[in-house]
Amino acid sequence: MTADTLPTTDPGSIRRPNEELPQKIGQLSPSWIAFFIAMSVITAVGIYAYLLQINNGLIVTGLRGLGSMAGATWGLYVAYYVYFIGVSFAGITVAALIRIFRIEKLEPVARIGELLTVVSLILGALAIMADLEHPWRAIVNLFQYGRPQSPFFGTFTMVIAGYLFASLVYLYVTSRRDAAILAEHDSRFKGLYRILAAGYTDTREQRRTDRQVTFWLAITILPMLVIAHSTVGFVFGLQTGRPGWFGALQAPGFVVLAGVSGIGNLIMLAAIVRSATRTKGRITLDAFAWLGKLLLGLLITYLYFTAVEILTITYQPGATELNLSEALLEGTYAWIFWGAIVALVAAAALLTWQALTRRWSITVVFATGVLVNIGAVAKRYLIVVPSQTHGQLLPYSTGTYTPNWVEWAIIIGLFALGALMIGAFMKIFPIVPLEETDSP
Amino acid sequence: MAKYAMAVDLSRCQGCRACMEACKIENNTPQGVFWMYVFRTESGEYPNTKVDFLPRPCQQCNNPPCVKVCPVGARFQRDDGIVLTDYDRCIGCRYCEVACPYGVNYYNWRKPEEAFADYNVDYKDPDIAAATGGLIPPYKNPALDRLQGTEQRLTAGSAHNVGVMEKCTFCVQRVDKGLDPACVDVCPVHALHFGDIEDANSPISQYVNRQTGFKLLEELGTDPSVFYLNGTPPGSDTREIERPLTEVGS
Repeated sequence: MTADTLPTTDPGSIRRPNEELPQKIGQLSPSWIAFFIAMSVITAVGIYAYLLQINNGLIVTGLRGLGSMAGATWGLYVAYYVYFIGVSFAGITVAALIRIFRIEKLEPVARIGELLTVVSLILGALAIMADLEHPWRAIVNLFQYGRPQSPFFGTFTMVIAGYLFASLVYLYVTSRRDAAILAEHDSRFKGLYRILAAGYTDTREQRRTDRQVTFWLAITILPMLVIAHSTVGFVFGLQTGRPGWFGALQAPGFVVLAGVSGIGNLIMLAAIVRSATRTKGRITLDAFAWLGKLLLGLLITYLYFTAVEILTITYQPGATELNLSEALLEGTYAWIFWGAIVALVAAAALLTWQALTRRWSITVVFATGVLVNIGAVAKRYLIVVPSQTHGQLLPYSTGTYTPNWVEWAIIIGLFALGALMIGAFMKIFPIVPLEETDSP
Repeated sequence: MAKYAMAVDLSRCQGCRACMEACKIENNTPQGVFWMYVFRTESGEYPNTKVDFLPRPCQQCNNPPCVKVCPVGARFQRDDGIVLTDYDRCIGCRYCEVACPYGVNYYNWRKPEEAFADYNVDYKDPDIAAATGGLIPPYKNPALDRLQGTEQRLTAGSAHNVGVMEKCTFCVQRVDKGLDPACVDVCPVHALHFGDIEDANSPISQYVNRQTGFKLLEELGTDPSVFYLNGTPPGSDTREIERPLTEVGS
């Protein structure tokens, strides 16, 4: 951005482009400027914490070794890495469902979802990088010596490379038409739109090609999605050495909880976009009702998995599993565990009530989005941490782990970075696809 | 090719922890890091309690979960059975640490110059010089920096660089010279034995075959190379009496 295009706080003095773009693109109101400044500051604090960690080693975090050091070696970073990867479930699933089953009601939220997928995958990758002391060595060595036998290999290739790449292609292909339309307007982003449109012409032939491309891409991405989220589950589910991790339910559980947190996030973001871009006419209550029903289905499946899990670890547990289940259900982690259950059950109850009465409210659906995400973060934390502090198989002392400010600063910084990316996108490109009638 | 194994005679171990000390001197491990660790445990309820000791080196598994999960092949097993870490290749993801059921992995949380802060005694200080007789001990074992074995990889401990994982190496720098690990050499009651388990005539084979024993957490299928003789595995009510007071960081 050059100096003469820099917006000022007084809306009256903004050098307006000749034509106004839809959805307030390119216009920065004072509240938007405040938003960008606030998010930049939070991101900067995160970067400061990260530099502190790079310079001093992971000693500045609350993480410590397992065993005789009685700590947890994986903590907040890994929990949020799993959470961010889970959130990426939403976008592409919804976008693919729209293309495959022709659900037109959801069409306006498709791009929000695709963007959410791309952003959360980037955040997931950054979260796992924050966990490593030598990020550059990690990148080089993973290329040079990567071993497919390690469940982490799937994380780096399948999830962060393949899935992210496919999502970016999907986002691009479905955005070209809008770029072509906007390139006709005389705006400061005209050059960008022309590059993005890349010679797109809105002919019948071109639309048909695009529809076919997105359809087949959607068909390929869906199995990829299940595999990608399963590999994250395998990081834990294949380890016999940690009570509470080993189990066949881990991979499907990860896929379903990914769906819950992803759809929940999509609902929240769609509601925010709806009021921020004045697209209330486009994103209808029907779309929220549809997403609410999808969320309810996934949530009930996840609650069923949780019930099965609780029964399995309490009915006749081995000595080490008993130690872990006591810590989870009535010990150190009980407040997190029962808090998560209350949040998830409350969300399920709200959604069921709305589905039964057929009276949907965006506020209530938004609230369920918040509730399921609180539940999802808590459950991710409980998968990662207790099996380390309370899951020792040799007679080590019970461990403790409390995330300290460095870890929180980096994680909150990641959220702010994500908000910045989404906010910047909203100010450069229509986040709600333009209507069919908006022809070039 | 030899296949190295260790035997621990639990009826002999008296919990003196000389092996832990020898390990620290040989491998220059930082504060709070115990490649060799001796559990001092109790079990039962007062007045019927029992105290036990359980030395825990790396179990050098023949089906090692840590090797399986390593995303870059930094953790590997040599043909002679020793499981080692390549410090030049480790990216510090700590997956081996969570995958290991024995808790033998230690991550270098601090830079070496800080990790040894508490050991960094100023030997030139007149008061200390009076106590040590003017002797200045070497800061580190030079053998740790050499590339080991036919694979020529940096596996012996190196400088305990920050951000990489390390664990007991069976003292690979000694074994490659035909010596026993430091803990075995130093044990005052001959509770620890080391040798080639595939050679039926080796002392350790004879020793293991003559006596009853167990391997730790054998049910997990890790197939450890450490044999525990003349004792019982820790039960569900076995608890650690005290844990080391040396904390890492503040």
